[in-house]
This record gives sequence, C-alpha cells and structure tokens, in this order.
Amino acid sequence: MSSSPDETAPLFDISGLHYRYAGAQADALADLDLTVHEGEFVAVLGANGSGKSTLARLLGGLEKPTAARHALACGHDLLVEDGRLSARRDVGVLFQNPENQLVAQCVEDDVAFGLENLAWPAADMRRRVDAMLARFGLEELRRREPHMLSGGQKQRTALAGVIAVPRRVLVLDEPTAMLDPAGRDEVLMAVREMHADGLAVVYITQEMDEAVGADRVVVLGGGTEAYAGTAAGLFADAVRVRRLGLGLPAAGELALALAERGHALRGLPLTIDELLAALGDAP
Amino acid sequence: MSGSKAVAGATPDEPREPAVPGSSGMSLACADVSFSYEEARAPIPAVRDVSFELPAGGSLALMGASGSGKSTLLQVVRGLDAPDTGAVLLDGAAPVDAGYAALQREVGLVFQAPELQLFAATAREDVAFGPRRLGWPEEQVTAAVDTALDVVGLPPAHFAERHPYSLSGGEQRRLALAGVLAMRPRLLLLDEPFVSLDPGTRRQLVGILERLKAAGVTLLLATHDVDLAWALCDELLVLGEGRLVAAGPWDFSTAGGRLLAENRLREPFFVELWRRLGRDPQRAPRSASAAAEALS
Repeated sequence: MSSSPDETAPLFDISGLHYRYAGAQADALADLDLTVHEGEFVAVLGANGSGKSTLARLLGGLEKPTAARHALACGHDLLVEDGRLSARRDVGVLFQNPENQLVAQCVEDDVAFGLENLAWPAADMRRRVDAMLARFGLEELRRREPHMLSGGQKQRTALAGVIAVPRRVLVLDEPTAMLDPAGRDEVLMAVREMHADGLAVVYITQEMDEAVGADRVVVLGGGTEAYAGTAAGLFADAVRVRRLGLGLPAAGELALALAERGHALRGLPLTIDELLAALGDAP
Repeated sequence: MSGSKAVAGATPDEPREPAVPGSSGMSLACADVSFSYEEARAPIPAVRDVSFELPAGGSLALMGASGSGKSTLLQVVRGLDAPDTGAVLLDGAAPVDAGYAALQREVGLVFQAPELQLFAATAREDVAFGPRRLGWPEEQVTAAVDTALDVVGLPPAHFAERHPYSLSGGEQRRLALAGVLAMRPRLLLLDEPFVSLDPGTRRQLVGILERLKAAGVTLLLATHDVDLAWALCDELLVLGEGRLVAAGPWDFSTAGGRLLAENRLREPFFVELWRRLGRDPQRAPRSASAAAEALS
C-alpha cells in the first residue's frame, strides 16, 4: 500500500517533466511544469501534436515519464511503478476515443466494471450504476452491446464508467469531440456539476468556448507550456492565439472582424451574451 | 458487417482517364434507400427509406444525433455497402445502367480520422495509390498528386518526399484528404472531418472545402458541428433513427428550431445572434467577416 495522500497538497505537482516516445527524435513533452489544486478546473489547449494526449496518459499513471524533477499525482510518485498504479485509482482518465475503454458485454456491465474491480457491495454498485446511467441518458441502452453503440453513445458509456469509481481528479481528453450538440451539452453539464461538487478537472479540448469558464487555461506548444493564465488573457492576444494554432470563440472572432473594420467593441466578448451586451453599448 | 456485398450492376474496373480538373460536380439522388447491418440477433435498421436529391455543385450538411445513420448513408452512397432496397442515382444513372461503376469512381469518401489509413513510405506514394489503382498513366498520376498536395496546402516541393508519420496531426489529415482529391472526385463525401482538429487546421480545411465548392465539386458533409455546417452548406438533411426527418434549405422558423432540438442539434451561432439582435435569422451571415460587414 502507498501512503495515504495529503489532503492539502496539490493534486498534480509536476516539475521538469519530459516524455519521449521510443525511437522519436524529439521530446513529446519537454520541461513541463503543471500544478493543479483541489477543486480547480484547468483547461488544456494546444495544436494537434502539441502533447496534450501524452500529458493525459502521464497524469493518469499510464505511462512512465522519461524524466522529471518531480511528478506527483494525488501524492503518488509517477516516476515509480507503485505510484503509477495508485494514481490510476485516484485519477479518472477519459480519452478521445472510447473504443479501447469499453471492455464488458453490455453498457451497464461496462459502467460497473471499475466498481467490480474494487469489490463494491452489490446493492451499492446497483445504485451507483443506475445513477450513472441516468446522468448520461443511457438507461434505455443498458443491455446494449458496446459494438452496437454509436460513437457518441460509446463516449457517454466510457465517461459514466470512469466517473462511477470515486475519483479525486478527472483528466478528460476531448470528451465532447465526437458527440452531437445535445450530447456535448449533457457531458459538459455533467462535468460542470461534478466540478461544482468539488471535483478537480483537467479538461483537454479543441473547442475554444469550452475553455472560457475555466479557472485557468494552460496552452501546450511544442511539448511545453506556451501560455498559462486566464482564458480572457489568452484570447486578448489574437496574434499569439493564431500562432499557437488556436482560435477565438465565435463571439471573439466577430469582435475582431469588427475591430478590423474600425468598429472596436469595449472589451473582448467571449460568449454570445457578452457580445450582445457589447453590441448594445457600441456607439 | 455486410461490407462485402457486391453492388448490383457494377461493371469490372477498367482504366479510365481522370476527370478534367474543374469539371462540373456530380448530382446525387437517393430513392427509398434502406440498409440494415446483419446481426445475429434482431437487425438494427441503420438507414430506412431515405430519399433526397442533391444537385450538381450543391452542398448538403448531413446531420442528426449520434447513431442516426449518417456514416452508414455515406458508405451506401459511396457504394461500399449496397442498399437492401432502393437505389443511389449518380448523375441520374442507376446501378443497372452502363457506366455506373465509372461514376462511382468519381465519388470520394473521406472517413473519420482518415490519417489512420496512411501507410506508404512517402506522402507522394500515399496520394498516388488511388490514382494508380484506377489505372491512370503515370504522368497523369504525378500531375494529380502534385495538384492534390497543392490544394490541401502541402506543396509537393516541401512535402512529397516526407514520411507521412513525420507530419503533424493536422498535416496528416490534409494528406489523407489529398489521397481522395487526387482521384478528382466530382462528389465528395466527408464523415466528421473536423473532429479533433485544432482551430488552425479547421480553418485550413474550411478554406479547402470552400475552394472545392467554388470549383463546382458537390459536397455531402456529415458533421455534428452546426456552425461549420452553416458556414459550408447551402442545404441541410436531418436523419433521426435512420429516417429522413427533414431535407432542404435551412429553416430557422419556430418549427425549424424545434426540429433541430428534437434531433439533438442547435442553431448556428450567427443565426442565434441574428435572432437575438431582432434580425431575420434566415438571412444570418455564414462567417465572422460577413457578420462584421453587416453590422458595420
């Protein structure tokens, strides 16, 4: 058994992290620092190939860092095998593609899979699984075999399974990328509810509007930190945003296009409500 | 899976000259098309009695909830799966008509995450695979590969000899698209091409599709992204549980909005903005620059 985690220490305490894939010429992650505290919602952005998914695997204890000054997840040392095994229990990770995460014969067994491994009592497990199925609108699919599900349904099943096990922090790697707009809203709402309940979330995304409400935004570029700060601070510098392969939320893109035509708005709106307010204020 | 079903009336492959660049797009019509996956237990109907027409050079967004049959419909249109009933008409030709197989070869399908299918040692060899299989003369293959690489923003001088795996994720997706474009499709089918792309690569892909559309290529775009569907497509087709729910021009009336919501969709950003500004949502702009122009 590893030592019990310190409740006040950061959930992720990463310094000088390097990761290089076997045979690669360069580091996928290079000298990366990352600290995530209890209750935080941290959005991670970055162009394709910037190292976001690699980071998710390392945070979840699924890969061994090539090197690090220190790398702690929920107090577990990611540089040693025992620490990574403990991290896998406390850190819930959902990947971009749920195909490889569905293992059971039907949806409800898949959602129960992690709880069975932890030997939960049957009645508790049933209640927990039912709650998860309801939260993700999967009740009617509970007996469906995973290979008979659409991509979006698979993603919701995988997320329900990750969350069924009590976690200290979630690492979500583009969880909405394959979902229809309503499915995306359901997942976002569920994630925000869990965050409101106190769970820390590291949220990797290519959707700029999903980063707007985050406590903090970290942008990866070339495997290392290219920006860390607020969403407003990131989007205020449109030239840097483009250089990093990113964009502005739609409201911000329109404000920028207006400014280019000599009609600058007061402040930079990032949501449609902020945009409407700014347009109302405009002379 | 029943992907090995032969398409009725298909003629054997024979060498064919590539279509002239810029030749007009192909029209598409589906007439009562149904397709079910064969499963040991009760079959799940994937597409049921779907009929619609897409004129040559038109652009149609194929939308609907996850599992509504969008990918299946694209595979049937491409001819990878033969419909159980009904027919896919290309330029008005039915599968039993002479020349149908040749028309099918002018339909390009870009799969989800097409970069997973890259396999050759160089970008040039990967893009050349399709045209060579069509039996084109080698100088035509070279010209088609160079053009396709240029169209997707991977100039051959810099990229043709690179190993596909040495390219970034966004470059790999564009290379895979080049592999389809090299065969000069007159009807291009795209299955969720924007998923997992960073915003910069998304902008590039939108630009590529806008140029293909301007060149007259017919587009059928399956996507969950209502904003990009609105930016690129003149018309909308909504599938619900395999059935056609609506097809035709975008409709942002109260009934149209209800239909979108019932099918797990929403209004595009600029449409919502126009409505909330008290303007006519049917005349909402399709890009930030067009919106800024209208508001200036």
